[in-house]
Amino acid sequence: MSTILSDELLSGLMAVGQLDVLVGLPTLNHSDSVGPVVRAAHVAFNRELARERTALLNMDGGSTDGTPDIVRDASIVDRETLLASQSLRTRHRISAPYHGVPGKAAALRAVFAAADLLQARAVVVLDPEIASVTPESVAALARPALAGDADFVSPAYARHPLDGPLVTQVVRPLFRAAYGLALAEPLSGEFGCSGRFAARCLEQPTWESEDLRLAIDLWISGMATGDGLRVAEAAVGPRRLTARPRPAVAALVPQVLDALFTCLRLQEAGWAPGSRAIAVARSAAPPPPPDPPANVDAAGYATLFREGLSALGGMLERVLRPATLEALRAGAAADRPHVPDDLWAAVMLELAAAHRHATISRDHLVRAAVPLYLGRVASFAAELAGLEPRDADERLEALCLHFERSRGDLVALWTAPLR
Amino acid sequence: MSDALWYKDAIFYELHVKAYSDANGDGIGDFPGLVTRLDHLKDLGVDCIWLLPMYPSPLRDDGYDIADYCAIHPQYGTLDDFRSFLKAARDQGLRVITELVLNHTSDQHPWFEEARSSPDNPKRDYYVWSDSDDRYRGVRIIFRDTEMSNWAWDPVSKAYYWHRFFSHQPDLNYDNPAVREEIWQVMRFWLELGVDGFRVDAVPYLVEREGTSCENLPETHEVVRELRRRMDAEFPGRMLLAEANMWPQDVRPYFGDGDGFHMAFHFPLMPRIFMALRLEDRKPLVEIVERTPEIPASCQWGLFLRNHDELTLEMVTDAERDYMYEEYARDPVARINLGICRRLAPLLDGDRRRIELMNALLLSLPGSPVLYYGDEIGMGDNVYLGDRNGVRTPMQWTGGWNSGFSVADPERLYQPLISNPVYGYQAVNVENQRRQQNSLFSWTKRLIQVRRSTRVLGRGTIEFLKPANHRVLVYVRSLDSEKILVVNNLSGTAQAVELDLHDFAGAIPIEMFGGSLFPRIRERPYVVTLGPYDFFWFKLRWL
Repeated sequence: MSTILSDELLSGLMAVGQLDVLVGLPTLNHSDSVGPVVRAAHVAFNRELARERTALLNMDGGSTDGTPDIVRDASIVDRETLLASQSLRTRHRISAPYHGVPGKAAALRAVFAAADLLQARAVVVLDPEIASVTPESVAALARPALAGDADFVSPAYARHPLDGPLVTQVVRPLFRAAYGLALAEPLSGEFGCSGRFAARCLEQPTWESEDLRLAIDLWISGMATGDGLRVAEAAVGPRRLTARPRPAVAALVPQVLDALFTCLRLQEAGWAPGSRAIAVARSAAPPPPPDPPANVDAAGYATLFREGLSALGGMLERVLRPATLEALRAGAAADRPHVPDDLWAAVMLELAAAHRHATISRDHLVRAAVPLYLGRVASFAAELAGLEPRDADERLEALCLHFERSRGDLVALWTAPLR
Repeated sequence: MSDALWYKDAIFYELHVKAYSDANGDGIGDFPGLVTRLDHLKDLGVDCIWLLPMYPSPLRDDGYDIADYCAIHPQYGTLDDFRSFLKAARDQGLRVITELVLNHTSDQHPWFEEARSSPDNPKRDYYVWSDSDDRYRGVRIIFRDTEMSNWAWDPVSKAYYWHRFFSHQPDLNYDNPAVREEIWQVMRFWLELGVDGFRVDAVPYLVEREGTSCENLPETHEVVRELRRRMDAEFPGRMLLAEANMWPQDVRPYFGDGDGFHMAFHFPLMPRIFMALRLEDRKPLVEIVERTPEIPASCQWGLFLRNHDELTLEMVTDAERDYMYEEYARDPVARINLGICRRLAPLLDGDRRRIELMNALLLSLPGSPVLYYGDEIGMGDNVYLGDRNGVRTPMQWTGGWNSGFSVADPERLYQPLISNPVYGYQAVNVENQRRQQNSLFSWTKRLIQVRRSTRVLGRGTIEFLKPANHRVLVYVRSLDSEKILVVNNLSGTAQAVELDLHDFAGAIPIEMFGGSLFPRIRERPYVVTLGPYDFFWFKLRWL
């Protein structure tokens, strides 16, 4: 019989015993970035969660760059911090490979299994690519679950409204329309949860699905809409990624869309039958947004939008309603691309449904969506130019509300193919 | 617990109102007093209170001689007090079942007074009469210490009446439909008030037939089925628990096809748990469980270690009884009828490890456990009080005046408190034990919490493993895919045992009290070491 936990890991867990907070850290060749993350967790254990029984569990997917060694050896280098964070307890740090197909899903499954076995009250999953993690943010993700106030704790980063358009224009509004859950970061790789939530995730049959590998982060957020679960958002400061090469937008957009649409498909039994607004407890007021990101190349995006729309017209005719495609073409013909909220919502809903029904090759579909996304981003950036961050935030919220109101259309398209 | 099968997961707590708490200072416990102690039961974690008889009665058999089925004994309060108690219990999430003595009434019950007044009285046929005492010859006498015959002469009506228990407790005549109707109306009365069911006393003896043992007759089962039918129709979700001190195969028909009793006590198991412990050998316990027939899925065994009666030795062989007397009642004064009248703690020499093991067995064997009041703190007894009064002394709440049971003068208490240096209320009381994390009370509370964390122990099947070491009792409880492995060391010395767990290869055993992980089970023998009277409950997880 295949097992989720290796014997090596199990023997490490036996030494840990029952605990309060388990921090999970999935890695794969993260030697360049994992050290500070481990140190932040370590300081959090000693300073922020000094009385709790804690352990760090690094599930490694077979790194060849010495990541597990760095996890094991990372120590507090700052003398002042070291003195201020003397540990009352033995602090456990386990690094082990996980069983199964490499990928974050298998790593998280092992983290949840370990949490369930150790009867952890709270679980925090960290992302080795987020360099901005701090001891305080680790504790902020753990505390609502520790206090019994929340089962799922999503991070709320201090981000400028123009930062992360793939999240603000695509993931956040569509996730909210489908699940009724107003999370700022449904796609986040870091989160906190209760032991109950970990056990609930663990018992899902979906782990065996190949599709889950694509959609694991969103799938976790979607699980938070389960019956009787309470959701919170914790303010965790600005978000800064490690300095490593990232996929270009042309590669990233199809990946995220594929993940989002696949997640909707995996959890359709949960969200499609009925709608409900899920309350989110926010632990603190959102932090002020930092400086705006580098300007969007609006002119370049506009060109790609027009060219893509023209080149892919035949394909898009098969997935979008004629009126939607017509409106897009009209928007592309303007001096500056114009893709208003209602049109954008229609585009996203129709793409999601086409993905669900595999109207065309799913791979072709998500690639064909790239120019449409660029057009929307260019249009939105132009709209936001000159707005104060607070007003821009309100604009983002208005977009989400627009999507929410389109939920009926989403469900109708989802359950019956367009043509 | 809104589940109709709530009794399968429930932990019952048996108490006598008179012994629990006295609110009006007359030296006798009462319902207003009981209300003030419900927080203790809630804290302990039990689900259902089983009340011993609280009806008007001359109290010649501690209330099992009922003189009015539809009222409360004035010593214990009023019907309004009972209603207030039921509401308070409900508010605490506690269920309540009451004692129902079906087989007989007191000879002071108006039915009997009318019946004996004249052979022509309409109530005459409520009881079993005879002109001679030679009917039903050969039927055993239950209270052999006090009764010479099952017939008693009534000088008023110049005839014999039938009684299986004391002669002042004439048996009702269940061949008479009017009696069955009266008893149903009694049940209806209490069910309408809101009780969750009845513990039905002395069930096997309801009907008599010539040439039989007058026990467990088909006609008796029909009476039960009729009452059940009527209860289900009007009060679904309520429960009937049978007292039938019989072998399991004789008790089995009382469950019917799920249309008789919901629960029945497993009497032969109890002495064998004690025997296995003293013998340091699992054999008696394994044998009796394996000889226990299957019961319908909706039914449940009631398990107990001690109760308000003697540790009954009716359902053991002569050799077994001699052994039990020798080991547990060397002082003959503790022997009563066919049993031993002691509480749990004194029976086990106050040995905390053995008390814990016995309770762990009680809560892990198949059935719903019934705790006897006071045993959660290890109360002692007083065998010199006669009959079974020695195990019915006042509950010990504090080390203060009358142990916090009553403000009356100590001489006025219905019975003296236990006051010896070992088990006396100054040493053994709820107040002290609630303060101490390591007290028997705190430990019992934890045991109950762990039991309640899973439905497997209430509803699952049992399969014994039989390792070579006979001092270690091992079984696996299963419900669907959930499995719990229970390993008990019945001996007073440390033991190692090799378990063949290949059927569970790949599973990780998780010790349920502390959550500690044990090494993964493989095809090879699994070694467990246990200290004296140690036990482990392992949840098996495949991860």
